Amino acid sequence: MIADEPIFARLMTASQGGDRRAYTVLLTEAQFWLERFFRRRVPPAQIDDLVQDVLLAIHAKRATWDETRAFLPWLAAIARYRWVDHLRRVYRASESELGDYDASEDSEEDAILARMSLDRLFMQLSPAQCNAIELVKIEGLSVTEAAKRTGQSESLIKVNIHRGLRKLSALVEEAD
Amino acid sequence: MPPRPNPLIAQLADELEPVRPLRMRHGLALAAVATVLTIAAIALWQGLWSGPADGQAAIFFVANGLIALVGLASARTVVRMAAPRVGVRQDGLRWLLAALAILPVTALLLMTLEGMVGRHDDVTDGLNCFIAGTLSGVGVAAALIVWLRRGAPVAPNLAAFYTGIAAGALGSFAHGLSCPFDTIGHLGIWHVAPVAVSAVLGRVAVPALIRW
Repeated sequence: MIADEPIFARLMTASQGGDRRAYTVLLTEAQFWLERFFRRRVPPAQIDDLVQDVLLAIHAKRATWDETRAFLPWLAAIARYRWVDHLRRVYRASESELGDYDASEDSEEDAILARMSLDRLFMQLSPAQCNAIELVKIEGLSVTEAAKRTGQSESLIKVNIHRGLRKLSALVEEAD
Repeated sequence: MPPRPNPLIAQLADELEPVRPLRMRHGLALAAVATVLTIAAIALWQGLWSGPADGQAAIFFVANGLIALVGLASARTVVRMAAPRVGVRQDGLRWLLAALAILPVTALLLMTLEGMVGRHDDVTDGLNCFIAGTLSGVGVAAALIVWLRRGAPVAPNLAAFYTGIAAGALGSFAHGLSCPFDTIGHLGIWHVAPVAVSAVLGRVAVPALIRW
């Protein structure tokens, strides 16, 4: 089964009422959705941890979903929030390669996913901030390596990471 | 490919208990109760100014009305921010804050033109109102922080900033109902200052309380 918005909403309504079977299906589908959501912006080895982190957040904050609102934007907001938090925590990742894991965008659900994807947040950053965060926070280069790669000074790389993360944090809710 | 079993999901499902969804109206009611209790406490302690009832009020309604409107709009925004969402901008509230700024700008302009800036008695009365107005926002701030902690704000810094504005504005409004100084110079500066100061205090102190 590939869950879409109405299915997610029905499962979540049942889960808020205490239906454990519905909740198991919901979390399993949410896990697949999140894996695709994070695929382009998180090194593969870190996706599992991040997805688990978001599943725990869903569990802890499940009362904050209102059935009069769509489920996927709610899930996307939590995923973005946890992702920015993750970027802050992981200063240097052990894996530095991001493969081409782009999700196909041939279904309505994927179109929704793409609309809410993390790329839309990155589009709001300046190219220098985007570069600095991608190289250091996602690809796992050191500040010195990133400075050499981009031609920016080390202090400028640090400033761009700091300002970029602050901007990402502010955009979690505002960006489409 | 068959789905990978995830032990975490099994564990979370085992722990599942029914929950009551967070309703926006409950958050608004919480903020409203805090505001009403603050007004009641001020009415009992200081008494409300009788000027509006006696037809003496001039700028009272405009200034306090605008401050109350900013407080209500900010409180509503904070209540909504407790639920995770995407694609939400607070442009309307920003314009309302810009409208509120007209009060202190007008006050400073008139006082400068009339050469009344920094008169000692004005400053003493003004400081009293500033302190009272700021402290009167504590109840609203506490209510909104409790609400945000129950929720899941995904923009905690912004939620904290608006919490400060809501607390400062509703506190200043509550205190303003007892204040007999009905001039643009007094209301425009000393009754708007709690909004600005509370916004800064909220932005600095509240994020740590609501981060999740």
